[in-house]
Amino acid sequence: MKCEEIGELLPDYLQGRLRPDQAAQVEKHLAECSACGEEAALWKNLALLPEEQPSPALESRFKAMLESYQEGRWEKTNLASEKSKTPIPMLWGLGNWRQLPAAGIVWACLFLACGYFIGKHADRGPDAAAQAQLNEMRQELGATREMVALSMMQQQSASQRLEGVSWSTRLPEPDPKIMDALFHTVRFDSSVDVRLAALDALGRYSGRPEVRRELVDVLETHQSPLVQVALIDLLVDLHDRGAVPQFRKFQQDPKIDPTVKKRVDWGIQQLN
Amino acid sequence: MSQVRSGVGEMLGVLFERYHVPLFNFYLKLTGDRPVSEDLVQEVFFRILKYRHSYRADTPFRAWMYQIARNARMDWLRKRRPEASWEPEMSPAVPPVDTAQQSQEAMLLHSALMRISEDKREVLILSRFQDLKYEEIAQLLGCEVGTVKTRVHRALQDLRQVFHELESGKPLRGRGPHRTWPTPGSVQ
Repeated sequence: MKCEEIGELLPDYLQGRLRPDQAAQVEKHLAECSACGEEAALWKNLALLPEEQPSPALESRFKAMLESYQEGRWEKTNLASEKSKTPIPMLWGLGNWRQLPAAGIVWACLFLACGYFIGKHADRGPDAAAQAQLNEMRQELGATREMVALSMMQQQSASQRLEGVSWSTRLPEPDPKIMDALFHTVRFDSSVDVRLAALDALGRYSGRPEVRRELVDVLETHQSPLVQVALIDLLVDLHDRGAVPQFRKFQQDPKIDPTVKKRVDWGIQQLN
Repeated sequence: MSQVRSGVGEMLGVLFERYHVPLFNFYLKLTGDRPVSEDLVQEVFFRILKYRHSYRADTPFRAWMYQIARNARMDWLRKRRPEASWEPEMSPAVPPVDTAQQSQEAMLLHSALMRISEDKREVLILSRFQDLKYEEIAQLLGCEVGTVKTRVHRALQDLRQVFHELESGKPLRGRGPHRTWPTPGSVQ
C-alpha cells in the first residue's frame, strides 16, 4: 500500500474506526514506512501534552455570573445594555447574536420581559398574568434540565451517561425528546448498565400507550438477555396484556436465551 | 421564581463542572494564552445560559457547545488588537512529566503544535483532545467529513515536519526571522 492510500485511511485508523483487516494493512505500512509511522507516533505522543487546569479565578467568575443571574441582576444588565445600544464588552455582550436562530432571541426577549414584569409586580401578589409567566419560567427550567440530561446521555463514559439518564428522571413531565433519547439508549448503548437504567427511567412514562408499544418493539429487537428480562418484568408490572402476543412469538424463537424463555413463560402466566 | 433561577443555576453548574476544563484546554492549545482562554470559557458559559433555548435536542450537545466556543473565539479575534498575536512566551509552561525525555518531547510537541497553521491545529485539537468524531467536526466547521480527515492528515504531516525542524534546531521556514524557538531543554 502506498503512502497516499494510507493517508486516506490513517485518520480513521487513529480514531480506531477501521475494520480489522484495514487496520492490519495500515499497521503493516506504518511498520515499513518511517514517515507515516512517525505521523502515527506523533498522534499517539500528543497524549504527552498534559491537561491543564484553569486558575481558581475562572470558577469564581462563573459563580459570580450565576449569582448575578439568580438574583435577577443579569436580565437587568442585559436589558439596560440593549436599551442603551452602546458597544457591549465581550464578556457580557450579545456577541454574534445575528447568527443565532430567531427562536433563541424570541425566548430571550420573552424571558427578559418575564423577569421585568414579575419583578415589578411582585408586591401585588400573584395574579393570573404573573402565574402564566411563572409557568413559563418553570417550562424553561424543564428545558434546561432537558439540555443537561441530553448532553450527558451523549457522553463517552458510561458513568456519565448513567448520570444523564438519572437527570432525565428529574423532569416533571414526560418529554418526547427525552423519551426518544432514552429509547435510543436502551437500544444502542454499549453498556448494559446504562441500557437498564434507561429502561427504568422509561418505566416512568409507561402510562402512555405509545411508550408501551415501543417497549414491546424493543423486546422484539433487543439481543441482550439482561435487558430482555428487565423488559419482560416491566411489561408484566404494567399489566400490559397487549404484550402477550409478542411474548408468545418470543416463546417460539429457537435462538432465545433459556433464562429469557423461562421469564417469558412466567410473564405469560402472570398476564393471563 | 428564585427556585426556578436556582434550578437553572444548579444545572449550569453541572455543565460547568463537566466541560470547563476541556473547553479551557481547547482554547489553551489553540491560542497558547491562559488569560484569554479563561475569558473565552467564561464567555461560552455566559452564552449557554443566555441562548439555552436555541439548543436543539437532535444536535449533540458537545457539537453545539463547541459551535458556541468557535463563535466566541471568532468574535474575540475580530475584537482583539492586531499586535496581540501569539508569541512563544505566552505559551503555557509544560509541567514536568515522568521522565526528562518525555518532558523534552512534550515541550517540542507543544511548540510544534503551536507552529502549524491554525485551521490544522484546530482540527487536530478537536479530534485528538476533545474526542470529537470527524462527523461532528465536519458539522462544526461546515465542511465534508472527507475534508476533515484530509486536514487531520495534513496537520500531522506539518506537525512532523515542524517537530523535526525544532528537534534539529533548524530555522523554521516562512515564520519570520525575528523569532527564535526554544531548543530542547531550554524551557523547563
